[in-house]
Amino acid sequence: MERNLREHFEQAVSDDPGFALGDLAQAAMVEGGQIRRNRRTRLAVPAVAAGVVAVIGAVAGLNLLPEPAEPQATIAAAMMPVSAPSCQEKPVETGATDAAVFLGHGTTDRQRTRLLATLEDDPRIAAVAFESREEAYQKFRIRWAKDPDFLAAVDVGSFPESIRLRLKTPEQYTAFRSEYVTADGVNSIVGRRCSADAPVGGTL
Amino acid sequence: MTETGIATPAGVLTGWSASRRRAKAARDEEFTAFVESAGTRLRRTAYLMCRDWHLAQDLTQHTFAKMYAVWGRIRTGTNLEAYSRRVLMNAVFDQNRRRSGSEIVLGELPDRPDGTPPATPELRVDLAEALARLTVEDRAVLVLRHAEDHSVESAAAILGLSTSAVKMRNARALSRLRALLGDDFTGP
Repeated sequence: MERNLREHFEQAVSDDPGFALGDLAQAAMVEGGQIRRNRRTRLAVPAVAAGVVAVIGAVAGLNLLPEPAEPQATIAAAMMPVSAPSCQEKPVETGATDAAVFLGHGTTDRQRTRLLATLEDDPRIAAVAFESREEAYQKFRIRWAKDPDFLAAVDVGSFPESIRLRLKTPEQYTAFRSEYVTADGVNSIVGRRCSADAPVGGTL
Repeated sequence: MTETGIATPAGVLTGWSASRRRAKAARDEEFTAFVESAGTRLRRTAYLMCRDWHLAQDLTQHTFAKMYAVWGRIRTGTNLEAYSRRVLMNAVFDQNRRRSGSEIVLGELPDRPDGTPPATPELRVDLAEALARLTVEDRAVLVLRHAEDHSVESAAAILGLSTSAVKMRNARALSRLRALLGDDFTGP
């Protein structure tokens, strides 16, 4: 019976149309790379805590907004990510525990992939999380849900992508920053000083 | 803010990327060799599970993609063949769950819960069609045990079932298959 069944199975696949296995490998590597990136995205970035009041002034003046939008100053400030409650209110130049690496709007997929990979391998970095435009936009919508004027003034394309990360020791932040701020695809880097329970990157 | 502030990477970054590129090239080569050696069998197994070569192709690609995503972790010390079957079967089960609302309707052969063979030769079905009439779990057991020659223990590990559950499903699925295939299915 076993043998007979085996023959049936062989017959069942006898019309195999065939496929170039090299192409299959290529396609799998592309899709697999995407799975890895998505996994990184899910790494951290907890939801905005209910009831947390946005501290607009804390980040005003950082000037991270995309060029063509030219929104009013108040909207520009409202679009800035907000320091997490367990971080100091204002960004710091030195001694940061966490950082947000904002990508330029013209950053290519290749630049983004390379940057993420390099950061993940950097021995000074403890944790990495990616925040897409969509995520940044959704957070903005949650934060300003009661203010339709703000919501109407921006769309998802106005928000930058960013990579949120935590350093192993704050002493390494200055060297880290100067090294990466000129990297391909990076627009700016904002450091924050947080306690260990803050979300990676130090912003909500 | 402008885009003009983007310059070439600092020296350290360049070093990192170069060594990463070399490591990636070696990893990709190893992975490609694995796909080339294992791809055809995996795709045929997928076909036996879904009876559609295009879907089998997609399921196979997806299985390899998931393996590529964790290649560094599984490339040594893991039974890659068993691992690939497990990923594939999970993908098939997922697919099956998603489609369960619109279950595949197959031909005119009536279900015969009593297991009596079809009365006339016209109603006879081939193996792929007969397999499609089993539950997806029973199908998986038959394919792993009889098309791929996995042991009961190996099939149990792949499917996350006990060995007795595999034996029971196997016996039940075989008798159902016998009924569906009628005279074509000789043997004890």
